[in-house]
Amino acid sequence: MTLRAENLTKRYRQGEKEVVALSGFTYAFPPGATAVVGPSGSGKTTLLNLLAGFDLPTEGGVYLGDTPLHALSEDERAGVRLRHMGFVFQQWNLIPTLTALENVAFPLLLAGWPRRARLKRAAELLEKVGLEARLHHLPSRLSGGEQQRVALARALALDPPILFADEPTGNLDLEAREQVANLLFALGEARTLVLVTHDLELAQRAGRILHLKGGRLVREEAPQAKG
Amino acid sequence: MELFLLVLRNLLARPVRSLLTLLGVLVATASMVLFLSFGEGLRRALFQELSRVGPAIQVVPEGAEGFVFGGLPEISPETLKALEEAGRALGVRAVVPTLFLTRGGFDPSTSFLFQGLPEGTPPDLLYPGLKAREGRLIPSEGGAVVGAKVAKRSGLALGSLLRLSPRLALEVEGVLEETGGLADNLIFVPLRVLQEALGTENVTAVLVALSPGQKAEAVARALEEAVPGVKAQTTSEVMRFAERALRISDLVRFGISLVALVVGGLLVANTVMMSVYERVREFGVMRALGARRGFIFRLVLLEALLLALLGGALGLGLGGAASYAINLYTLDQVGLALSAVTPRLGLFALGVALGLGLLAGLLPAYHASRIPVVEALGRV
Repeated sequence: MTLRAENLTKRYRQGEKEVVALSGFTYAFPPGATAVVGPSGSGKTTLLNLLAGFDLPTEGGVYLGDTPLHALSEDERAGVRLRHMGFVFQQWNLIPTLTALENVAFPLLLAGWPRRARLKRAAELLEKVGLEARLHHLPSRLSGGEQQRVALARALALDPPILFADEPTGNLDLEAREQVANLLFALGEARTLVLVTHDLELAQRAGRILHLKGGRLVREEAPQAKG
Repeated sequence: MELFLLVLRNLLARPVRSLLTLLGVLVATASMVLFLSFGEGLRRALFQELSRVGPAIQVVPEGAEGFVFGGLPEISPETLKALEEAGRALGVRAVVPTLFLTRGGFDPSTSFLFQGLPEGTPPDLLYPGLKAREGRLIPSEGGAVVGAKVAKRSGLALGSLLRLSPRLALEVEGVLEETGGLADNLIFVPLRVLQEALGTENVTAVLVALSPGQKAEAVARALEEAVPGVKAQTTSEVMRFAERALRISDLVRFGISLVALVVGGLLVANTVMMSVYERVREFGVMRALGARRGFIFRLVLLEALLLALLGGALGLGLGGAASYAINLYTLDQVGLALSAVTPRLGLFALGVALGLGLLAGLLPAYHASRIPVVEALGRV
């Protein structure tokens, strides 16, 4: 399932002034990892918001296969996210009152899976990210790296073809960063992984790097092919 | 079920706030239950009493509908005579004039309700099944027969003196067996003595006992036709009147308890709204993961409903316990259970609590479900 952006443009009003956060972004994301890099204010977060259907473009559109995401209602977009997308954010964004196991099982609950099947699947995923000993821990009792691994397991719960990661290693120490990055690329390998990051070293591990500047796509490179 | 667990976890994550809110709803519901339980208790007691009263018809002055106990003696000897004649003509079993006098004291042991009956009229004509435990059943010229409760409460025994006025004292000649009814709290005295004490020849009401086969409704209408200026009430008419009066008093008491309920509702709304503000990001994450708006709406609304329902159920329990304690006192003092938490009151209280939760939760739930995902995630 291809994720495609066509002439994606987002303008905000800030008082009297109009701010162009993203302008004319057109790109078809191929399977594999694509990193989006650029300085602060370059439009990375806006791009991810639009691609994931969190927000609507001022102009242009996002297509998932043949489905125009931008033309769907808020609830329809939520349905598309549930079935086809997984998310890992910079701040871990786990539900604080749920255990690691329940957090991972949450998208399965939304998808209507029976309880037993949900917990089984969630336990398998947590095992995959090396957290089989932390199933029943609340997020507050997990380290930053562990929380991010739970978030990664949760993103994969419904085996989505598209995975979004927004600064997934931004808040982690070196060791945890390496661990999470390895897992992210390993588990995201067979999917379309859109990785938004400041971390050029992390971006280098992706198949393609898109450079944004001033809300525009200024350059595309394929570091691994270069190497 | 899963949604319920999520809600419960969230409430338990903020135990002090949830507990305080719960207490607010609990107190509001308990006070409402207690207020309304008096209506239910009175309803039950009155209908039990009325169904036990012997004569099927009570005649009162026109415009004085309801119960005879508190009425003024307004039926003149002429009207009484006309009623007796009409009664004879209609073939009724008995026409019994009666007069009530309440002598209030500072506490129940010095408060008395006297009922005057014509000489020779046995009290069990009006209150079937009444028996004397000691002494006589029918008071003589200068005597009184006291109900079981009033005897116990005021320490009256055979030979005790009861003062009706500074000049008039009556000797207790009989103590009745306990019946569990109103008669337990009455003192039966001769009608003439009571009229002398009040300085009147009038009576409060005239009770009419029917002969077998007579229809109360038909006799009552015939009496009204024969004697102008009186209202002949059948037991069912009195019950209807009582129900009407109790409904009005229910409304008044519900109105009073509404204040507490509104405060309870505001507490729930405040708690849930605070919880929504604190969890904006969490809702954003849920929406990002694929939760629809309705899911968030239900999640928040259920939180308010759960708080209100739990508070309501505990409030119902507390109200029931308070009602039980009050009944222990009133049964001891006047022989009547004045408060009752009936199943319909229980259901009503839970319904009100649920309604309260619904009202309190709607706005926060709507608000939570409408926050744009990008704002909720702090990704603007």
